Amino acid sequence: MDDPAEATVDAVIERALAAYATLAELGEEIDDEWSYIQDLTEAWGERFEAIRVARGNEGLLAETTTAIDVAIGEIGRIEDPHRAIDWLSTFPQVAITALGEHP
Amino acid sequence: MRFQDAARDGRAVVYAAIQADPLVARAADLLADAEPAMRVMARAVMNGESTERATWTAMLPTLFGPTAGAAPRERAEALLDVALEVAERGEAVRSQFRGAIVEELTARLLARRAAGGAIRRERRILFDGVRAEIHPYDVTVERDGASEAYDCKWGARGIGDDVLHQLDDARRHAEEEDAGLLVALVIFDAQRSCDVRLARSTAPVDGTRLVALESLDSLGDR
Repeated sequence: MDDPAEATVDAVIERALAAYATLAELGEEIDDEWSYIQDLTEAWGERFEAIRVARGNEGLLAETTTAIDVAIGEIGRIEDPHRAIDWLSTFPQVAITALGEHP
Repeated sequence: MRFQDAARDGRAVVYAAIQADPLVARAADLLADAEPAMRVMARAVMNGESTERATWTAMLPTLFGPTAGAAPRERAEALLDVALEVAERGEAVRSQFRGAIVEELTARLLARRAAGGAIRRERRILFDGVRAEIHPYDVTVERDGASEAYDCKWGARGIGDDVLHQLDDARRHAEEEDAGLLVALVIFDAQRSCDVRLARSTAPVDGTRLVALESLDSLGDR
């Protein structure tokens, strides 16, 4: 990550939330879980935003930005909507842990 | 109120073989002593797409990076190895392993405060004049006047009204017989996700204890 602006908490959360939204779209293929997905993504979105408010301008170590990008890559590989729903819970936990926070 | 072994139908026999697999015991051993971040890691790996070790060590620098202490890192690496073994079993089999691991972990944590003989698996609870539930409880602690029944789930999505009703019915029937029974759900997922799932439920939840990934160690608290 050569651009320091891309290595801030704000920037990695922005990327994480974009990937998370794509994952949610995949999960929404399961009609019965649509409402749960909306509530779940809202709840975890609020947690991400709370971290962004508290630490947004903070620069991150290269290993941390790599961690988030690897996690984004992992959810980008998911094709099964059922697994996508499970990762709508798992991904925030992993990403937030990588940021050194408690989910 | 009395406890009874569940019927050994074909599905139960197959599942019993998975429960008895040494991999389940190894995973439960390591998870029992793991920190919450390690449990998050194990959950992700056992449910992940990638089975490449480097992917997971890169994803969690707080566990595997240069700032991680040697001893915790060693424990995290051992847990990663086991989680990868589960992940490599393939989707159909690993989902059964994941369930068995959560159950075994629950039993091991409960054993920190309850005598081993009191902890049983796959048990039904019978009440006078009440039709028995078909589904057994994953883990029970059976003691006069202070029994406990646990249903274990891999993820928050596994929380459904049917299981909540079954747990609450058991609690109410036990109360009617003046037989102490604590009922609980153990979910190997974040409290936040569980709360979202529970908020959507129309089943009674007030009398059922929820033990989420962050609070697993409370199972062993005296």
